[in-house]
Amino acid sequence: MNGRAATDTTLSQSDIEYIYEQGWTDGLPVVPPTRERTDELLAATSRPADEVIGRLDHLKREVTVELAAINSVMAGCRPEYFPVVLACWDALMLERATVGGGWQSTSGPAPLIVVNGPIRQRLGFNSTGGVFGPGFRANATVARAIGLIVRNALGIVPHVFEQATQGIPGRWAMCIGENEEESPWEPLSVDGGVPAGADAVSTTLLRTSEYVDNRHTADPEKLLTDFADTISRTGSWIFRNAAAGVVFCPEHAQLLAEAGMTKEDVRSWLVARCGRPTADLIRVGKALTEKGARGDHGEDPAAAEGFEPLFAENSPKHLPIMVAGARNAGISMVVRLFGIWSGISARIDPPMSPDGAVQFRE
Amino acid sequence: MLDDVRFDHILDPTGLSRRPAPRSSAARRLPDLANARVGLLNNTKQNAAPLLAELGRLLARDYGAVVSIQRTKHTIAFPVDEPLLKEIAAVSDVVIVGVGDCGSCSASSVADGIAFEREGLPAAVICSDAFEVTARAMAEVHGAPGFEFLTTPHPVAVLGPDQVDERAAELLPAVLARLTETETETETAAANVAEPVAETAS
Repeated sequence: MNGRAATDTTLSQSDIEYIYEQGWTDGLPVVPPTRERTDELLAATSRPADEVIGRLDHLKREVTVELAAINSVMAGCRPEYFPVVLACWDALMLERATVGGGWQSTSGPAPLIVVNGPIRQRLGFNSTGGVFGPGFRANATVARAIGLIVRNALGIVPHVFEQATQGIPGRWAMCIGENEEESPWEPLSVDGGVPAGADAVSTTLLRTSEYVDNRHTADPEKLLTDFADTISRTGSWIFRNAAAGVVFCPEHAQLLAEAGMTKEDVRSWLVARCGRPTADLIRVGKALTEKGARGDHGEDPAAAEGFEPLFAENSPKHLPIMVAGARNAGISMVVRLFGIWSGISARIDPPMSPDGAVQFRE
Repeated sequence: MLDDVRFDHILDPTGLSRRPAPRSSAARRLPDLANARVGLLNNTKQNAAPLLAELGRLLARDYGAVVSIQRTKHTIAFPVDEPLLKEIAAVSDVVIVGVGDCGSCSASSVADGIAFEREGLPAAVICSDAFEVTARAMAEVHGAPGFEFLTTPHPVAVLGPDQVDERAAELLPAVLARLTETETETETAAANVAEPVAETAS
């Protein structure tokens, strides 16, 4: 460290300014990534530093474990968060959009990251009140690390290769713990193939999210009808079908469960009802063509018959369901998927002991 | 500017040791387009195929060119694959590529143009002017920072058939200039060569 005292605030500030000048930050100050700090993160994983964990050949870029660590340091991650970042990245690479042109898209998507398992308590991931908001280092820095990896290691910088027209509110800030303790159902990671009780990350790209506030009815069908209305709006519907998820608050989830509904029942109910009459879609210039595209070709809504289902399939890939938030009100979130979820959750590697041995296995 | 040497304790988060050295991307231009075989590569964006087809028709009508092949890219977000590149190059003397009209496809259209030029074919790449910065950045990534492409006002996807034909007519002189020796090859020619006089989109 060139003999400099760690308490020299002038030098710390100049480090931060230097990193701004390089164009390496997301607009907020970052932790300067030194060799020492990066090595602490690398020591938290058994994976080799030079392992390539992602690439975009058309941009001639690749991501290594070391680059992921450098960016995670910058994001403010503690060393023990790094296996979560790696698992999240692995899960993201299973998404069709992230290995295509998704990061460059005008839709400006960003991942929703969902953490399951005891690691939530161990590392302090918030899964209850204000789960989409700030205030929790693990949630905030893991999501930010992914954003910095995309920016720096993949080189997808706003206004250059990142071409978001507006982008999604909450971009690079959506990392939630699932509230397994107050959920009546199995964790999302079980839908992603990881046993309940194991540490896992599930993620998919979102285009936006929209709340459903219903503290008005105890009737499960009326409640779900409110969700179906929000899910079925035309604005987010651009191809033959669309995909959406629901982050239920504990109160809504418990109301549905007490009415005897499993998560699969809820999904089936919504898949069967979400959609719009063809005439509605014609009225907004989104008539379906034979090729599966939507557009305005002068179709007559009065002559249109039929109902178009929003979801292509009854599956967690098209309609992932999870539970998060506080048990203090009936406020849930509908999330709009950029594509569909891969349907595969990634296990988080167990922490390493100082001698490099794995401390425990599931 | 802060002195880099003082900051060598800070690791580089980009993994970029250095950019690829620029190498020539310019194919030899044709004297004119009489009997020249024109390949058209559309990228599946709405109105790309009719715009390119109309350009081909105008080049045939006014300059004696012949449209030899019209193909659609297999993946919009990525540069043209080698088999398709070879297929088009085998039967073409010049190519027109477009329309770069989205976040990833504008960049990849420029990569297509560079690939055709390195294959020896003059290439006219058409992007919407909303994506100029991303297109230029892509040229740099592919080692051809001065690569020229043509722009047309955004948006293209919502134009009606007549408006598409108008766009083609507006682009025609620039396409001709890009493919033939009438163009002057200089570094500074990286500026847009097609700034249509009339805005056809509202």
